[in-house]
Amino acid sequence: MTPESTGILVVIAAVGVESFAQLFLKIGASGGAGILAGPWRARAGWMGAGSSARAWISLGLVAYGGEVLLYTLALHYLDVSVAFPMGSLCFVGVALLSRIFLGEAVGRVRWLGVLCIIAGAVCVAL
Amino acid sequence: MKPGAAALPGAVVVGLVLAVVLDTFIQIAWKLAGNAAPTAAALGALSSPFFYAAMLGLAAQLFNWMRVLARADLSFAQPFTALSYLSVLALSARSLNERISAPKVMGVCLILIGVFLISRTPFRSPRPADEPGAVRQ
Repeated sequence: MTPESTGILVVIAAVGVESFAQLFLKIGASGGAGILAGPWRARAGWMGAGSSARAWISLGLVAYGGEVLLYTLALHYLDVSVAFPMGSLCFVGVALLSRIFLGEAVGRVRWLGVLCIIAGAVCVAL
Repeated sequence: MKPGAAALPGAVVVGLVLAVVLDTFIQIAWKLAGNAAPTAAALGALSSPFFYAAMLGLAAQLFNWMRVLARADLSFAQPFTALSYLSVLALSARSLNERISAPKVMGVCLILIGVFLISRTPFRSPRPADEPGAVRQ
C-alpha cells in the first residue's frame, strides 16, 4: 500500500471516531442520556448508561484520544493540506449523528451549509 | 431572523470564536510536531515540544467546547470550526510561500458561505415532543 492510500484510510477512520467523540461530548455537556432522541434514550437506560454525564464525557475523551493518535499517524503519511480537508467529512458524520441520536433539526439550509464547507475544503486543497 | 427564533447568546459567540483560535493553534503545533519526528512511529512526535503545546491547546479546547455544546446544537456549533481551515491556510501560505490560487480563493468563499448558511439556522433545536409532558422551547 502506498503511503497516500494508508494515510487516506487512517484519516477516514479518524473522521468516524471524531464524529462519535463529538456526539459523546455533546451528550455529556447536556447532562447525560436525557438529550438522546426517544428510542435511544430508552436503550441507553436499558444499558445502564442512564444520565451519568461524566460517563459520556469519559467516553468522548477516549474516542478523542483515539482520534488524536489516528490523526497524528495520518499527518505522517499525508500533507496537512490533504489531511485537513479530508477531515471535513466529519461535518457530514456529525450532522448525521446529531440528527439520528439527538433528534436535532438538521434542515435543508444546515445541510447546504455542510455541503458548501466540504466543497470549499476540497477546493482549498487543490 | 424568523419570529420566535432566539438570538444567539454572547457566550456561544465567544465560545465559537475561541474554538476557531484554539483549533488553529492546535493544527499548526501538531504539524510542527509531526515534522519534528523523522521516524515512522507516530510516537516519535512525543519528543517534540510542539506536541505538548498541541496537547495543552486540546485541553483548553475541550473545556471551551463543553461550554459551547451545553448551550447549542452539535450540528450548529461544530461546522463553525471550519473557519479554522481559513486561518490555517492563511498561516501556512505565509510560512510556506504558497501561492493563493483561484481554486483556493473559491474554496475560502464556499466555506464562508457554508458557515454563514449554518449561522442562519436556529442554534438550538426544540426538544422533540416524544414523551408525555415534554416541554417545547
